[in-house]
Amino acid sequence: MNQRGLKTICLYLTAWFMAALFSLPLLMMISGSLKSAEQLTRDPYSLLPAEWNWSNFPEALSSMPFFVYLSNTLLLCFGCVIGTTLSCALAAYGLSRVSWPGRNWMFGLVIATMLLPWHITMIPRFVLLSELGLYNSLWAIVLPTFLGEAFFIFLLRQFFMTIPEQLLDAGRIDGLSHWGLFWKIVIPLSKPALATVALFQFVTTWNDFGGPLLYLNDPKKFPLAYGLERFVSSYGDQTHLLLAAATLFTIPMIIIFFLAQKTFIQGISTTGIKG
Amino acid sequence: MPKNSNHHSEARAGWLFSMPWILGFLALFVWPFTASVWWSFCQYDLINSPEWVGWENYSRLTREAREQQGFGQALTNTLYYSLLSVPLSVVMGILLAVLLSARLRGQAIYRTLIFLPSVIPVVAASVLWLWLLDPQSGLVNYLLSWIGIPPQNWLNQARSAFSLETIGVLQNYTTGEPLKLLGSKDALILMTLWGVGNFVVIYLAAISDIPKSLYEAAEIDGASPGRKLLHVTLPMLSPVIFFNLVMGLIRSVQTFTSVYVLSEGTGAPGGSLRLISLELFLSAFSDLEMGYASAMALLLFIGLTLATTILFRTSRYWVHYRMAA
Repeated sequence: MNQRGLKTICLYLTAWFMAALFSLPLLMMISGSLKSAEQLTRDPYSLLPAEWNWSNFPEALSSMPFFVYLSNTLLLCFGCVIGTTLSCALAAYGLSRVSWPGRNWMFGLVIATMLLPWHITMIPRFVLLSELGLYNSLWAIVLPTFLGEAFFIFLLRQFFMTIPEQLLDAGRIDGLSHWGLFWKIVIPLSKPALATVALFQFVTTWNDFGGPLLYLNDPKKFPLAYGLERFVSSYGDQTHLLLAAATLFTIPMIIIFFLAQKTFIQGISTTGIKG
Repeated sequence: MPKNSNHHSEARAGWLFSMPWILGFLALFVWPFTASVWWSFCQYDLINSPEWVGWENYSRLTREAREQQGFGQALTNTLYYSLLSVPLSVVMGILLAVLLSARLRGQAIYRTLIFLPSVIPVVAASVLWLWLLDPQSGLVNYLLSWIGIPPQNWLNQARSAFSLETIGVLQNYTTGEPLKLLGSKDALILMTLWGVGNFVVIYLAAISDIPKSLYEAAEIDGASPGRKLLHVTLPMLSPVIFFNLVMGLIRSVQTFTSVYVLSEGTGAPGGSLRLISLELFLSAFSDLEMGYASAMALLLFIGLTLATTILFRTSRYWVHYRMAA
């Protein structure tokens, strides 16, 4: 065999090996969630369960108020997605398509907030939101998203700047104010960028653990991420149920990823943010 | 319409559109930052109003840093985790991206499988790794046994592989007894590397932007694949490597959820998973020492700013921007 063929085979082997290594933990989670407790101790490593124990899922669902957690998570996601897309689109328009003196240094401040670690604002924010009576309320997590988020303002601003000035001029001739230009021209043209922001915010809120940990103390208000962590504390030895619950919590993210793969990859490679 | 009033209305529109963000900036950044600085000089338990104590919180922090307790231990933990996980993520990210940019059949499948762990929620991933890293029945030790590595204690062991105590273990080592070098922080690094797909995606995008003509020119000069990687790919990637170093550093210092779930909020074993984020959270919300926690947050902020500045300073020696060429 020539040298080139050997090299190709090595490349294929490495690629398959790495892909297998990275997907193995995930496969183990899914197969583990289908094994009975007894099977999991006897034979933890086989990728295919000897018998498919679907009953883990209903059992995990009934060991915690799953649907309460799920509806809280969805409420949070819904509120945060609306808050972020709205506030960030407004700010991004003001910072790109309106010419006013403070614009550039204002944008500089937006970027600066991205570099501030959350630790330094955490305690005063907690005090502020508690003073507003939002402790133990989902609003403590939703409300801040109505006040903008630097990453998304940055992303939308970059997109808004690519909209041709002529289109806005045409709108101005038709007598549209900035408010009209924003809603009738910029927003309809920016659906892909807005969808990216909505998607990333949805995923961020779905995964968010710190916010609920800080602000919520009533189990009836817990979202899934926090509920799952509490589940670990009380069912730590019931690995099969833990894996079933973790799988249920993860599957929506995997589905969203496959449905919106392109948006995900583009969003990350253009802005470098994590979903 | 007179031009003046037009300017006026433009400015008004600009302020109005940015108003939600401006409010957020004032309420969620300016005021909290100021309050944090102020409270770092106070004793404050959330119930009674803040009481000025001068430099007391800071002297406690420096004392703990010297004695390697509390904050000092958290600082060492964070340095250990960041200094290992960030460079490892960069190296592994680049190698995987180079591999995945080779023209192979099924390329999309390999890319998807390597990225997929990055979309797993951190809480779920931590639950999963708690099981995978179990010293008796975990998959990781099982796989290690295939290549002859003795079972490791992972999340049950406070001592980590690259620590001074390890030297003592190696000195007292007698052949035949299993070497248990890897501990809880090494487990955390392993879990972090599993999520390297985010970085891979960024490198892949950058690699596809490198002009093919550069590789052709290198081939004409008779460059081997290794030389092409060293003299074409890496210099062309350097702006992205720099970006990922900075983002990776900021992200690693802020790691919270995984250590919280892995240690059930305690930072156990032996406080070895108390990274600064967790230490700060526990000081504030379980010890109710807001002043002390604020001082810690401020030191963290200063440290992170310094580290980023140093990275920026060094970048002019190794980052090649295409525009300048």
